[in-house]
Amino acid sequence: MNKTKWSLIALLISVLLILAACKDNKEEQTVEEKEETIEVSSEGTKGTTENSEALFDLAVANEADAIEGGTLKVAMVKDEPFQGVFSWELYEDGYDADLMEWMTNALFDVDENFMITDEGIASLEVDQENNKAVVKIREGIKWSDGEPLTIEDVILPYHIIGHKDYTGVRYDTEFQNIIGAEEYHAGKAETISGLKKIDDYTLEISFKQLSPAVNYSGNGLWAYATPAHQIADIPIDELVESDAVRKNPVTLGAFKIDKIVPGESVSFVRNENYWKGAAKLDGVVVEVVPSSSISVAIGSGEYDLVQYFNATKMQEIQDLDNITILGRPELYYSYVGFKVGKLDTKQGKVITDLKGSKMGSQELRQAMGYALDIEQVSEVFYNNLRERANSLIPPVFEAFYDSELDGYTYDPEKAKSLLEEAGYVDVDGDGLREDPNGKPLEIKLAAMASDSTQEEIIAFYLQNWADVGLNVTLSTGRLIEFNAFYDMVEADDPEIDVFMGAWGTGTNPSPAGLYGEADQFNFSRYTSDILESTVKAIDSPDAFDTQYRAEQFKIFQQHIEEVATTIPMQFRYEIFPVNKRVKNFSVDYANEFKDHLHEIELSAEKPVSSK
Amino acid sequence: MWKTIVRRFLIMIPQLFVLSVIIFVLAKFMPGDPFTGLITPQTDPARIAELQEKAGLHDPVHIQYLRWMGNAFQGDFGLSYTYKRDVAALIGERAMNTFWLSLLSVILLYAIAIPLGILAGRYQNSRLDKAIVLYSFITYAIPTFVLALVFLFLFGYQLEWFPTKGSVEIGYEPGTLRYFWNKFYHILLPAITYAILGTTGIIQYLRSEIIDAKAMDYVRTARSKGIPMRKVYSKHIFRNSLLPIAAFLGFTITGLLGGSIFIETIFGYPGMGQLFVSSISSRDYSVITALVMLFGFLALLGSLLSDIIMSIVDPRIRIE
Repeated sequence: MNKTKWSLIALLISVLLILAACKDNKEEQTVEEKEETIEVSSEGTKGTTENSEALFDLAVANEADAIEGGTLKVAMVKDEPFQGVFSWELYEDGYDADLMEWMTNALFDVDENFMITDEGIASLEVDQENNKAVVKIREGIKWSDGEPLTIEDVILPYHIIGHKDYTGVRYDTEFQNIIGAEEYHAGKAETISGLKKIDDYTLEISFKQLSPAVNYSGNGLWAYATPAHQIADIPIDELVESDAVRKNPVTLGAFKIDKIVPGESVSFVRNENYWKGAAKLDGVVVEVVPSSSISVAIGSGEYDLVQYFNATKMQEIQDLDNITILGRPELYYSYVGFKVGKLDTKQGKVITDLKGSKMGSQELRQAMGYALDIEQVSEVFYNNLRERANSLIPPVFEAFYDSELDGYTYDPEKAKSLLEEAGYVDVDGDGLREDPNGKPLEIKLAAMASDSTQEEIIAFYLQNWADVGLNVTLSTGRLIEFNAFYDMVEADDPEIDVFMGAWGTGTNPSPAGLYGEADQFNFSRYTSDILESTVKAIDSPDAFDTQYRAEQFKIFQQHIEEVATTIPMQFRYEIFPVNKRVKNFSVDYANEFKDHLHEIELSAEKPVSSK
Repeated sequence: MWKTIVRRFLIMIPQLFVLSVIIFVLAKFMPGDPFTGLITPQTDPARIAELQEKAGLHDPVHIQYLRWMGNAFQGDFGLSYTYKRDVAALIGERAMNTFWLSLLSVILLYAIAIPLGILAGRYQNSRLDKAIVLYSFITYAIPTFVLALVFLFLFGYQLEWFPTKGSVEIGYEPGTLRYFWNKFYHILLPAITYAILGTTGIIQYLRSEIIDAKAMDYVRTARSKGIPMRKVYSKHIFRNSLLPIAAFLGFTITGLLGGSIFIETIFGYPGMGQLFVSSISSRDYSVITALVMLFGFLALLGSLLSDIIMSIVDPRIRIE
């Protein structure tokens, strides 16, 4: 009896000791975290006052002598295996695209505004009058297996995407803009009639209507070649499972696949036939690394480059001395949208009904924008790796982004006065405002579920709105899973008045598809004459004049800011931890490493580890 | 006994049928579909509708079910929407990974737990016993991901004894001896982690069974006949004490294919646990249904196996 008692006490004491140790550690950590936050935020404010891009370097500054060859070790942060569909026409997962970048089949080079230049494998000539575009490829370019690149390799992708057995999403409205694409898709024609082979190096494409998007690889123009000599004979529905796509794709890029461990890693070797000259590296190894251990792996010098590093883990790596952290603004914005209408599915048209909608009042929407303290969320939760967005066009698109827009910066007083003006006052004295008719006002917010931070952030926003007297509650009572969220938003679910979403814009920021009258993804269901005409004008033939296009973009941004049916919330940064031994590496969109893979060099035999 | 086994297999058919109906209907009830995640600003809603139509998602649920059923009978579980691969091949690949990892885990698990359980029971209330009990309480209390991360950082990154992720290093020719050794080397650390975490149950069962058995009449009889204690333990007590553990053996064997989402995620090891969770979040219907059916079948088989094993090790039990 006595013995058991003693052992119990011993056990209790040891547990207490362990707990106490944990607590100590924790306290130390939080203090550290606080210090770090202050440090980062001071940097952040400096960044925003001078130039938001100054927050990070865009390129590494390694001047040491390079070694001969070497293998670049790349970590891809991902908690599940990659899919491994190595075809630009067929892939669906962004991670596959990143793997393919090392051996890309891209035809065109683009400038910092993502406009096609003449520097790439192919050049583009646009014949505006006849709605035609001519793609001309350089002569003498070889695939990684030594076969010459011909115009057949440029034509084949169109016949893959347009084929009736093709199951990807790239057969879209833009693709249907090619003359004959729909007939081919329906099985009525053997080929796409709008594609005309002029000679072995020239292709002429006829469009129904030509828009400036063609200069940004949009409008139906396809920007990649595919090795016809390898895959032309494989039936389309078997293509995605074929070895030519899964195991040994023939490429035009700086590297080619050497070995694959499915779902885990890919090793690339230099492509001796690369048209810009063989790469200086011997090869590249890309490995999937779980997010739970990536920070330690970076510190111990396992990798030269990390892709998809989550910005919320910034604090874990910012003091490491063996890496340079590069960063750039992402082609992304998050927004808060207000439902002010419905989609008429029969007519395929957005019907805006401001009078009949709970969120119909412009002042109410604006007030809700001013009430959100997004600045604080960016600082506290994202270490300023996200920032308050003022526009629906990310600043990367310098030619179109309107830097002069004020956006809805945090101003609760302004929010209150706007609400007073519009008649949203508290009549029954419960601290919450009623609507102009004196009826209780409950606004339903739909927000997507993700990690625990997201819950805190949404709770904070709800508090922001409560602070100005608005009763905002969560639709369904909780955060909504991704699939369900978009299902409900698309179906104009009556449970949703306000919703928080995000878009990746891709390299063409055109609002077509998202803000037009006939667009199903125009989720706020807002349209007006002026909005519709600018959305159309941005992609009209007139807009080949960049200045005109830029003007229309400004009108679009200003109009949306004024009516506030969609209020931009945050832009975010994409960060790339790069080991100190890497040379000639840049993430600047104007001079991206993806276009200069063959120039990357290393200055040590092994990645540098942190002391 | 053979009759019983055949009968049990026959009963499985309606059981699996009910399971398949439930999982099929529940999967369809989930909001969204495999195409929801593919939408970009350029996507044409009509195209999404066309893809849904092609995938047969517009048909009534019972039609979809019958079609699936018909194909499944021919061994065709369809194509994974996310991985664009034959479901059977996809699952097969992951199942092999998970199988080897689980097999090593279970071997290590028994190798650790059985000696510890026996020692704790035999030398009850000694310091050794207390140390073992303390050990099993601690491992029982530690969450999987904590121990996995600690081991990974300590043995993987600090001491560099083990590889830190994946199932095999790139660059080895499949089929060679070095390739297999490398694979084994990769599953060693996750398997040790898994084994250490699972020992509590077996240690506690064995310990209490042995303590109980020590006081049994047959032990006293054996002792009074002059059999040395060592022999009594190895011949008489041990076999009887293993019964409750043998009862779970069937489930352990079929559970080898279940996989552990925590271990797999932390060690970046592509296995069944991950496949199951990710197929649910991406609404990969064909993979979800195939996996649930497989798990269901394994559970039924496991219970049958356990019964058979029990009847072999314990002559008192007869399955009729």
